[in-house]
Amino acid sequence: MAKHPSSGKYAIIGLGVIAGPQPDRHQRMVAAEAARLAIVDAGLTPADIGGAIDLRRTGGGGDRANYTDAYSRVLGLKNNFYFVVGRGGALAGLGIATAISFLDRGIADYVCLMGAVADWTHSQESKKQGHRGMSHADKEGYWGKALGDLRAVSHHSWMAARHMAVYGTTSEQLGAISVQQREWACKNPEAKMYGRPMTIEDHQNSPLVVEPYHLFDICQVSDGGIAFILTTAERAKDAPKTPVAVLGQGFGEVSAELWWENKHFTHMAVAPAKEQAFGQAGLGISDIDCAQLYDCFTSEVMFQLEDYGWCEKGEGGAFVAEGPIGPGGSIPVNTGGGLLSCYHLGDLTGMAESIRQLRGEAGDHQIEDCEVVMTTGHGGELLSPGMCSIHTCTLLGRGL
Amino acid sequence: MSDNDNVITVTGEWRKPPINVDIDNRPFYDGLKAHKLLLWHCNQCGAWYWPKSYCQNHENEPFAANMEWTEASGKGKVFAFNRHHWAFHPGFKDDVPYVYALIELDEGPLISTTLVGETPDDVHDIGQEVEIVYEDHPDQGFTLPRFRMTGN
Ligand SMILES: [Zn+2]
Repeated sequence: MAKHPSSGKYAIIGLGVIAGPQPDRHQRMVAAEAARLAIVDAGLTPADIGGAIDLRRTGGGGDRANYTDAYSRVLGLKNNFYFVVGRGGALAGLGIATAISFLDRGIADYVCLMGAVADWTHSQESKKQGHRGMSHADKEGYWGKALGDLRAVSHHSWMAARHMAVYGTTSEQLGAISVQQREWACKNPEAKMYGRPMTIEDHQNSPLVVEPYHLFDICQVSDGGIAFILTTAERAKDAPKTPVAVLGQGFGEVSAELWWENKHFTHMAVAPAKEQAFGQAGLGISDIDCAQLYDCFTSEVMFQLEDYGWCEKGEGGAFVAEGPIGPGGSIPVNTGGGLLSCYHLGDLTGMAESIRQLRGEAGDHQIEDCEVVMTTGHGGELLSPGMCSIHTCTLLGRGL
Repeated sequence: MSDNDNVITVTGEWRKPPINVDIDNRPFYDGLKAHKLLLWHCNQCGAWYWPKSYCQNHENEPFAANMEWTEASGKGKVFAFNRHHWAFHPGFKDDVPYVYALIELDEGPLISTTLVGETPDDVHDIGQEVEIVYEDHPDQGFTLPRFRMTGN
C-alpha cells in the first residue's frame, strides 16, 4: 500500500510520566513536572519548546484549564502558544494532529503535549459528601442527571447490555478481558494493580456496580500526568532516544449519524478512523505488534477487537475468552494494564505504553521485536441517553 | 400513587441533582407537566427527533423552523437496560437497585429513564413493551417521565 506523504514525517522524542496517587501535590505541579521530565528525556531545555498543548477532557463536560494553571507558565516555557485540546478520553490523538500543523509551518520546532488529572484525590474528598467514583465530576446540562444517570458508567453498561442481548455475550467473557489486562499489570510495577493477580471467579465475585458491570469491568480513578514531545523527523534524528514515528492517524464520530442509530450501542466509530490511519501508514491490522485500545470499561475493548477486524462482530466475547489479548496472546492489548488495571489518564495511558514498547523500555511487559503499535482514544459528549462520540486511532512505529 | 396508573405524585424535598431546563427544551418539560410526551417533529417529512435537532433528511429553514414539538404516543420498547446497585450520588441511596433503561420510542428516537413497577430480570432479555408514566413533583413544579412495562 502507498503511504501518505505525512507518514513518518513527525516523531515523539521525549516522555514524562508521573503515576500513582498525588495527595500532597496540586494537579498543576504534577502537570509541570511531567512536562519537565519529557523535556529532559528528549535531551532538550525549556527554551527549545516552541509551543505547549494541554490535554483536557473539555468536550466531555469535564474540567477546564484555569489560566493560572497553564503548565507552560508554571514550568517557565518560552513558548509562542498554549491551549487546551481534548474530547473526553480522546486526548493524545487529537493533540498530535493539532501539533503537527504548528510543526509543519515551522511555528514551533518542538511541541510539548501534556495531560494531568487529580481524579483520585478529588474522589477521596467527594466520598466524604456521600459520593462514589466520578460523580463529583458531574456537570450541569445533560438529560439524565436527575434520573440517576451517572454518565460514563450508566451509558457504557447499556452498551455492554445491548451487546449481551443482541449477541449473547456473557459477563464471564467480559471478565476474561479484565483478567488478561491484569496479567499485564502484574508485569508493570507502575500499575495500580501490580502484585494483585485476579481470576474470572474474582471478577464474578466483585460487586455488581451497574449491572451487567461488576467492579472489575470498570477503569481506575487516578491521579497523575503524562507529557510527550513531538517534533519533525528531521530533528528527531538528533534525539538521544529511539524516535517513535507517527505513521498514521484517523478519526470517526458516531454523531455523523442519528445518535439513536442502533449499531452505536455495539460499535465504536472505528470504520472511518481505521481507513484513514491504516491508509496513511500503508499498513493492515496484521502489522500491529500490540494494541493500546481505550478501555474505560471491558466491553469497549471487545467492540474495538470486532470493529478493527480481529474477530467478527458479535464474536468478540468468544474471541477474548480464548486469551488472545494477554501475555503470549496473538494480539497483545493494553500491555501495561490499561485503564482497567494500570491508571486512567485518558488515551495518554496507551500513548505512554506505546512509546515505551517501541523504545524497548517496557521491562517485563515488553513485546519482542515491537515495531508497530496502535493506540486509540474515545470520548466526547454524553448526550444522555448514550453516545460517546469520537474514536481516534494513532499508528506509531519504531525509529524513523 | 394516584388513581391514574400513568401518574405518580411525589411530594417533599428533592435531594437529587436538578433537572436541566434550557430555552430549547422548556416546551418538552412544559409538555410533561401537562402529561404529554412531546418530541421534535419535522413538518416537511414527518421525521421525529429528540432532543431538538435539525432534520437530517433535507435542507432546513433557519433555526429549524420547519420543525415543532408534537405529542407522541408515549409508547415504546426496552432497547437495553442496566441495574444500578451503587448510589454514586447520595440522593439515590433509597432508590438502589434501580433499573435505568433505554426506551426505543415507537416514533424512532431513544429516551432514557428508570422503569417503575415490575422490571425485567436479565439484561439479555429486552424488547418488552412499555408506556410513559408521569411523575409529578408539585413542590418543585416539574414532572419527570418514567416508563412501565405493559405486559405485552
Ligand atoms: Zn424532515
